[in-house]
Amino acid sequence: MSSLTARVITGSLSQIGSMILYIFLGIIIFEVVVYLVLGKIFKSKYTIPYMLLAPAAVGLALLVIYPMAYEVRLAFTNMSLRYFRNYNLSLVQGLKNFTLIFTEPVLKQLKFFPLLSRTILWTVINLIFHVSGGLVLAILLNRHMRGRGIYRTLLVFPWAIPQIVAVLAWRGEFHFEYGFINVMLQRIGLQPIQWMIDPFWNFTAACITNIWLGIPFMMIIILGGLQSIPAEFYDAAEIDGASNWQQFNSITLPMLRPILTPAVILGTIWTFNNFNVPYMINRYELETSDILVTALFRAAFEYNRYGFSAAFALVILFILFIFTLTYIRVTGGIKGVYE
Amino acid sequence: MKKVLTVLLVLVMLMGLVSITSAKVNLVLWTKEGEEPLEWNKSLVEEFMKANPEVTVELVKKIDVEVLREDFLTASLAGAPPDLLWTVNDHAGPFVTADVIDPVDGLFDLDIYVESALEAVKLEGKYWGIPISNGNHLMLLYNKKLISKAPEDTDELFTIGKKLTQEGNYALVWNQTEPFWLVPWLGGFEGKVFAEDGVTPTLNTPEMVATLKFLYDMKFDAKIIPPECDYDAADTLFKEGKAAMIINGDWSLGGYMGVLGQDLGVARIPKVVATGTWPKPYTSGVYFMLAKGLSGDKLKAAQDFIGFVLSEEKQIEMVKLLNRLPALKEALEDPLVTENPILKGSSDQMVVGTPMPTVLEMRCNWDSMKPEMLAVLTATKTPEDAAKTMQTSAESCIKALE
Repeated sequence: MSSLTARVITGSLSQIGSMILYIFLGIIIFEVVVYLVLGKIFKSKYTIPYMLLAPAAVGLALLVIYPMAYEVRLAFTNMSLRYFRNYNLSLVQGLKNFTLIFTEPVLKQLKFFPLLSRTILWTVINLIFHVSGGLVLAILLNRHMRGRGIYRTLLVFPWAIPQIVAVLAWRGEFHFEYGFINVMLQRIGLQPIQWMIDPFWNFTAACITNIWLGIPFMMIIILGGLQSIPAEFYDAAEIDGASNWQQFNSITLPMLRPILTPAVILGTIWTFNNFNVPYMINRYELETSDILVTALFRAAFEYNRYGFSAAFALVILFILFIFTLTYIRVTGGIKGVYE
Repeated sequence: MKKVLTVLLVLVMLMGLVSITSAKVNLVLWTKEGEEPLEWNKSLVEEFMKANPEVTVELVKKIDVEVLREDFLTASLAGAPPDLLWTVNDHAGPFVTADVIDPVDGLFDLDIYVESALEAVKLEGKYWGIPISNGNHLMLLYNKKLISKAPEDTDELFTIGKKLTQEGNYALVWNQTEPFWLVPWLGGFEGKVFAEDGVTPTLNTPEMVATLKFLYDMKFDAKIIPPECDYDAADTLFKEGKAAMIINGDWSLGGYMGVLGQDLGVARIPKVVATGTWPKPYTSGVYFMLAKGLSGDKLKAAQDFIGFVLSEEKQIEMVKLLNRLPALKEALEDPLVTENPILKGSSDQMVVGTPMPTVLEMRCNWDSMKPEMLAVLTATKTPEDAAKTMQTSAESCIKALE
């Protein structure tokens, strides 16, 4: 198959090359148009800055604004397998889609609110372990000790592996017959666990995987925050006779807040929207292990309910938007940016 | 460094320019095949391209049939589908409903193919695929080193099974995660997934409850199957000689022949004693399907490629390599097929099978049966409750299709 490999490489490079060529030609034509319109017709003194900004603006419009607008439009259609090409676009259909999300099962049995509750549970469990685990490890690493660099490297390791690869490796370890975890359980005289088909254990398996993946990020962020706290604060506290707990509570935590706030917001959004872990670990499509985004994916691409799914996606976006606003307001976490 | 990168970029762009201006016809073929059949796919593509230098066939392997279905719909929606599909017949239902494939009537001489294979892709009075192989059905495969004769009925299966299952070895393995493996037993208990109209689900029936109870007994009472077993685990256990019997499809015959050789036996899935009926696996086949709007040079190239793959020579090659029943009438009458004990066993199972429904509603049945079968096999639901949920799930799914 060596000749095929060479052909595949050449073919792939040709496809990439033609794509780059099209983009390159497109940019040139676009720049010429901008130059002629702004520079020659309107004689604008900002012609050059606009020309420099134009490709990025077009890129953003194509990659962000257009898909968002398409999504909103799709939410007001009945597009599905039955109406794949001949779908209707109407306000009534949009309202129907949004109503269906809250009144009918999103997939087979599960309705929206139980699904939302599970997603919140999933997010809370993961975030508690991410932040507490990251904090403990960061505190442990934030002191002089032999081999600190090695520990740090090892602890960051899960973050360095592409998520999908790590999740697939974990899924292998949860295999009933050949997985490392069950093999170890049997070695110590325990019963193997049905990680893949038992609803409780499948959800647990997804949590374990995501906790393992998420701790390094929090650890690095918190470690950065800890290292930015001046040592003088702790020296002064020690002179005043403050205990370790008092130092942690009165110096470390408040000083970490500006760093923890965006990290927790990001962590929440990433976990809430985490697709790879719950989807890949839930190999047999147990509805009991689905969270909002995996249910959304299944509704769109397995059940082909495109209009409904677009509305569903907007609801998820709205939930995260409200969460972020509330969290920022309650914690005052990004006050420092404005003050 | 900058110069090197610039030169590389220009080279890649030049390659792109050459490909844009090239007069070659490029066909993209998505296949559902894996392992040995995929190797055969590759060799066919290679051979065809050598003989037809003006055509390039880009073979893309999809992880499984479900991924192929989902990706094809998504690609069609995006306006960039592949040109050809090598897939199973039940995809015809959703693809025809979504209007993403074209009928093949008038493009090929369909009289040369086995009628039952063609009927499996007939919808709205038209044919939507060209059959490559006939069958795609489940059967009982056994390792003659571990068991001299396949059990005739379920009582015998349980009796032999209890003797064979010990210390990490199992009597029988099958993919416990897919309802495709439940269907033969449901047929054995004389149940069907649809009512007479062919679209109303009939999943909450005494026959379905009996089938689920039977699967539960097989796992928890007789304990002749592993506690958890997906396709790969079943396949590995059988190939490693840790399972005496496996229920698997005709697509796996070539692989097992390679591992077990003459020790591989093929038989019908044991008769259900409670009803006296043979289990009825779904029968269908593997098909070429044409993406919507294929025309001009591409259509001509696709016709040539399909003609090449479905020539008698290549159909016989498929029999030799993969032990699949050919869809071409001439090839089916070849002594290689009629005198092959493995294929004889396979066709013996096929005659008691039942054609797999291609209607869109079948998708809802599959999706509804899967989690409930798993729930019974993890003892988290009773067969009665599982059957009830299957029915309501299927009904709500069908409602959502509207």
